[in-house]
Amino acid sequence: MSYTFQFGVLAQYQDQILSGIWLTIKISVLSIMLGCTAGMVLASVRSIWGGAVRLLVDAYVEIIRNTPFLVQLFIVYFGLPGLGLRVGADTAALIGMTINLAAYSTEIIRAGIEAIHKSQIEAGEALGFTRFQIYRHVIIIPAIAKVYPALCSQFVLMMLASSICSAISTQELAASAAFVESQTYRSFEIYIAVTLIYLALALALRAALALIGMWLFGRRVARRTMTAVPEVQA
Amino acid sequence: MTISSFMRTVVAAIGIAAAGLASAVEAQAATLNDIISRGTVRIGVLTGAPPMGMVDEQGNPTGYDVDVANLIAGYLSLPVELVPLTPPARIPALQTGKVDFLVATLAPTGERAKTVMFTQPYSAFNMDIISGPDQKFAKLADLEGKRVAVNRGSSQETALRKAAVPGLEIVVYEDDSTSAQALIAGQVNAVALPSTVGEAIIKQRPDAGLQVGFTFFQQGNSMATRMEDFEIRQWLNTAIYLMKISGDLDKIATKWTGRPMPTLPTF
Repeated sequence: MSYTFQFGVLAQYQDQILSGIWLTIKISVLSIMLGCTAGMVLASVRSIWGGAVRLLVDAYVEIIRNTPFLVQLFIVYFGLPGLGLRVGADTAALIGMTINLAAYSTEIIRAGIEAIHKSQIEAGEALGFTRFQIYRHVIIIPAIAKVYPALCSQFVLMMLASSICSAISTQELAASAAFVESQTYRSFEIYIAVTLIYLALALALRAALALIGMWLFGRRVARRTMTAVPEVQA
Repeated sequence: MTISSFMRTVVAAIGIAAAGLASAVEAQAATLNDIISRGTVRIGVLTGAPPMGMVDEQGNPTGYDVDVANLIAGYLSLPVELVPLTPPARIPALQTGKVDFLVATLAPTGERAKTVMFTQPYSAFNMDIISGPDQKFAKLADLEGKRVAVNRGSSQETALRKAAVPGLEIVVYEDDSTSAQALIAGQVNAVALPSTVGEAIIKQRPDAGLQVGFTFFQQGNSMATRMEDFEIRQWLNTAIYLMKISGDLDKIATKWTGRPMPTLPTF
């Protein structure tokens, strides 16, 4: 018997799939905004204050980057209720993704900040910039411009990794797919469709980030964003 | 890499993947002779659902299904290759030829019977509603407005959806142990579990104060083969009949569930 593809069954479950896509977009965009902001703050305070703050931030970054995302999610969803802090599956997913992405963003932006040459800051001082002006114009904006493509790759990886949240009953795209699969047993059709949806979402996110990059940093940075090859996340 | 060459790579990758998929699914009907001439039988067993299927301290598969699978391999006089599968992976693993057949606590349902072929039941258990220490449920109507955890694609999920209790929210996890974990963590009000699994969890976590509410149906479990493998299914049915007559199946049931196998109608 050769396999007969029946993509027609997918149409019956259009609503579940659309709501899954919507939740994937929602938790991805929110966690990207929150995680990137947190990363920017953490990378900055770590380089400005140094000492114990730097040690704390580095410890956080290393713990998150060297443990599996699924385990982090389980701790937020199944572990925190033991401490009296109970959050629903969608909130747990958002918290987990933000915590994870903040660590990766911190590490990437740290590299950007460290790539700013000391002479640049001295030039700023010579021009009579205030400390805040130096931080803003000489350090953080050029630093992010340097690492923007790497940052965007990480955002796309996070969006794809949001599929892992289905394990804690978050009804995002992968969970919708699993639901339809469990109702119809048409695994090939569903996962082929979902692969294409994730691919389209990733390309759309990359294009949106390239536009934002063009608006913030100009054409050269934006072009690198669209074609950068993402690193594989363990 | 320019954008257009990137797109070309993507399109090529999809093409290669689709070609691989197409060749993988065009399978001939397998026969017993194919399995015998290969020299080993590959049996899919359930994992993550004690006592039906789990791993022991050494990481080897063990449980009710594993004992039955070993017994079946003994009837075939072949060495067995056990493939542990999570509940949602069972039917896809069978369809893609990763296993010859399933001994994986799979309940026959009308929907599943459209994609795989079932044998006579070889095990059975009650499906229970289990709750935490603060409340106990006595009937389906008590679940109104509650959150109940089930494992994805399970017969308890199908049964609960069919029962259509108003306001009942069904929360889906990947397996029985994660569903039970959700109850212990207070993320849901109750969990629907096979009595065998429920009793094992209550025994392992006496501190969680879990209590069995009521049984909402009795489930028989069948082995499953691919739609075209009539010969293997008929052989399995014969082996199940022989295991029942010899009392071997009752011995396995008593070992893992504490009681002999309940009598179920056959088909």
